[in-house]
Amino acid sequence: MALLDVDDLVVRYSPKLHAPLNAVDGVTFSIAEGEFVGLIGESGSGKSTLANAILRLTERPGRIASGTITFNGTDITTKSADELRPVRWRDLSTVFQSSMNALNPVVRIEPQFRDAIELHSSLRGGAVVERIKELFDLVMIDHRYIRAYPHELSGGMKQRVNLALALVNDPKFVLLDEPTTGLDVVVQRSILENIRELQRKQGFAVLFISHDIGTVMDLSDRILVMYAGRIVEEHTTADLLERPLHPYTKGLLGSYGDPRSETVRITYVPGRPPDLSQPHQGCLFAPRCPERIERCLSVEPPLLPLVPVLPLNRGPLEPAPAQPFVGSVMTPRVACHVAQLQATAPDTPGLPAPTRTFQGPEFVKTIDESEGALASEVFLEVKGVSKVYTSRQGFSTREFTAVDDVSFELRRGMVAALVGQSGSGKSTLAKLITGVEKPTSGEIVFHSSEGPIDVAGLSGSRLSRYRKLVQMVFQDPYSSLNPNKTLQYILSRPLKNHRGLRGAEARAEIDSLLERVALTPPDRYRGRYGYELSGGQRQRVVIARALAAKPELVIADEPISSLDVSIRAEILELLHQLVQGSDVGILYITHDLLSARMLADEVIVLNGGKVVEQGKAIDVIRNPTDAYTRTLLEAIPNPFAAHPPVEAAG
Amino acid sequence: MTNPTQPTADATSTLHEQAGEADLDAVANPSSGRRARGGSNGPSWFQIIWASKKARVGIVLLGLYVLVALLAPVISPHDAADTTFNPVELPSGAHWMGTTTQGADIFSQLIYGTRTSLIVGLFGGLFATALALLIGLISGYLEGTWIDDILSFVTNVALVVPVLPLIITLMAYSEVRSIWFTIFIIGIISWAGPARAKRAQIITLRNRDWVTAAKFAGDGTGTIVFREILPQMTSLVAAGFFGAANGAIGAEAGLSFLGLGNTESVSWGTMLYQAQLQGALAQGLWIWLIVPGLALAGLIFSLTLVNFGIDLISNPHLREDG
Repeated sequence: MALLDVDDLVVRYSPKLHAPLNAVDGVTFSIAEGEFVGLIGESGSGKSTLANAILRLTERPGRIASGTITFNGTDITTKSADELRPVRWRDLSTVFQSSMNALNPVVRIEPQFRDAIELHSSLRGGAVVERIKELFDLVMIDHRYIRAYPHELSGGMKQRVNLALALVNDPKFVLLDEPTTGLDVVVQRSILENIRELQRKQGFAVLFISHDIGTVMDLSDRILVMYAGRIVEEHTTADLLERPLHPYTKGLLGSYGDPRSETVRITYVPGRPPDLSQPHQGCLFAPRCPERIERCLSVEPPLLPLVPVLPLNRGPLEPAPAQPFVGSVMTPRVACHVAQLQATAPDTPGLPAPTRTFQGPEFVKTIDESEGALASEVFLEVKGVSKVYTSRQGFSTREFTAVDDVSFELRRGMVAALVGQSGSGKSTLAKLITGVEKPTSGEIVFHSSEGPIDVAGLSGSRLSRYRKLVQMVFQDPYSSLNPNKTLQYILSRPLKNHRGLRGAEARAEIDSLLERVALTPPDRYRGRYGYELSGGQRQRVVIARALAAKPELVIADEPISSLDVSIRAEILELLHQLVQGSDVGILYITHDLLSARMLADEVIVLNGGKVVEQGKAIDVIRNPTDAYTRTLLEAIPNPFAAHPPVEAAG
Repeated sequence: MTNPTQPTADATSTLHEQAGEADLDAVANPSSGRRARGGSNGPSWFQIIWASKKARVGIVLLGLYVLVALLAPVISPHDAADTTFNPVELPSGAHWMGTTTQGADIFSQLIYGTRTSLIVGLFGGLFATALALLIGLISGYLEGTWIDDILSFVTNVALVVPVLPLIITLMAYSEVRSIWFTIFIIGIISWAGPARAKRAQIITLRNRDWVTAAKFAGDGTGTIVFREILPQMTSLVAAGFFGAANGAIGAEAGLSFLGLGNTESVSWGTMLYQAQLQGALAQGLWIWLIVPGLALAGLIFSLTLVNFGIDLISNPHLREDG
């Protein structure tokens, strides 16, 4: 008997002013006691809706339209809040995504634990404190924080406290909904390892939800892949790497690579997820699928065990119930005609050959490319720059050194990556270079085509003229486009202000910019608003806007970190193409050494405001000399590192 | 970058185009649901307001008041200023609500009074909103500078000045007591609160990435504030306007009731003032006292209901309730 059984669950959203849609549609799976199951899906795939449905937290306008959720032998689908209360937090607990909001800010940590403990157990007084201490030991937090208020804890510590709070009553099942999203990479890593270790020791079952297949694979025994509200593949982790079945899974896996390899290939899935409120036919992934066949466009593939052992009374295409499994031995399930036919009828005409990789677009970086660069002239010199922030508290002042004696040079037509975790001073450096902030000491000299400029001394109109030379690409494409403006307006501003282009001239330039970032044909995009575009398309617009001023330097501040994993390579490739054969230099700010390897000629590693390592990208990544660089390399989620696939070894 | 397999690259671009194509067709095709509900940003602002029952009642009610005000000469049987009738008549066919102690037709006064209230509401609300916007936007965008310090100081003073004594003094000493003077007085006493709200909102908006992006695009402060930021605040400004209009209508009635209103035209406030002064209840003319109050309550009620609808524009979470 499985601990959690979800059977043909449908969660339907019927908002008053929009077309209704099934955010979760016909989802069937089960989780056994003590099992660690990962659920992957990108934004909008319905994974959080599914999580809320399992916790019975679905809110209007959503509702569980059909199907059942059975937990620990009881059907909880329609239980009232009063009936659920004894189960919640005793047998079934959760860690929510936003660690910042999950703890009550005006109550100390101890009473928050006490509430949860005293409601479900007979522990009182000192015994409760003992229990809290025990839990704090588990998640490796100092006991002195038991009496602290939540705001006295860092983001990572809060999330550890949330984890401890979830384990307070030795639950049978813990649902983790993106528990580390928004935390720093290095912190993320240590929390995830902590979770896995606790789960092994205490034996609770976990459903771990994430958009990041890399982290999920490191932890889970079994993986569910969700796309457009449906489970499209269910597979044990080891076998999934060996033999991914659904093309979407292959696409997700393709977005990872080892930055240390000689040749790094990362793929991306073109297009965007379907609008579920529209009527559809056939497989929902088909429009983005490189392996699709005729049948995919007309018949929606059901989720079936790969080699179905058919009972006599069942037709071949009836959905099968969740398969029983023992340990890592289970029949994978996949909702894909191609994968099913490849297993059952490989001779079908027109069927593509089985493949382990995503057959879509690909961004490749070889070791040879990085050679030979680093020869062009220097155009930005950062010499011994420091930035000290002083904050006053009462009569005492406190100093914080964000950037400490940093020196480096940028060369024309090259990409330099500024790598470090949050708080390393990389964004402060970007502000200094763009003239938004002034350095406390040191010098920044920009050798433009019209002579050298001392950046620190710029203000007023000279600063706005300098902005023609240095443009920004922002981290979050959802907030960097004004939702009230058309693309035409957004792109026309820099053309008018920096280059004096108006009317027909400006329109022609807008078209060529849109073409340059592959938003074609331009007349289909000019009149549209940012919110009508997908994340990747928006980031293309942001890049086009940065290019409109014809800058000499583009500063890209984590331009891919808020995009879905499967489309990140697309933006990297675009940035790469922009540098090729042009004079634009890019300062690429990131925490991710894989993307730095893909894009950059040179890597500068920052830690605590200091440059700890600097050199050619390939050298720094393959032979890191600093311990911190190695920590960053290890923090890169890499499914292949934990379970090396056979081919990659050769 | 090298692309070792050229055919793959070609296949890629076709795939990409097709995917983009399908997506765009959904938008271009007017019969598709996407366009019908106005893109992913959702329905138009009027659809949102109209979908709320409260707001719908408010709009209909407000529409009735506007209609009555516009058609006042057609609807009202007599001239409001005409005092040639028999005084203190009870309701009859000729005078539906009777006549006042001075011999004016109460029903006609009520109808014409609608005009005064709506004009005061419209212009008083506009004036207060414009002042609030100007001061709130400038001080919010320049937060932390000396300009903001001065404007914030003025705003704070305006907030704490005891309003009623100020108005009474201003009104009592003024030579002219036209409706426009009333509007002016109401405007200058009621801008401070909304100005604070707008200052607070612009402070959150001016740190958005798209504002920084506009700076990088070379836009000046004026362009950024009025073309980039202001459109984002439309619903707050609209809600502020209806709130201010409500306040202005109430303030006009209050001032008139105290005998400080305009002396040139009939309003519900002056009706109440006269009714109170002449002892309407003692003379059995309770209708004279009741109807202006009811009309006033109805108008303020309708504006409040409309504001519920405007709330839905700025806060989508509210849309699923009632």
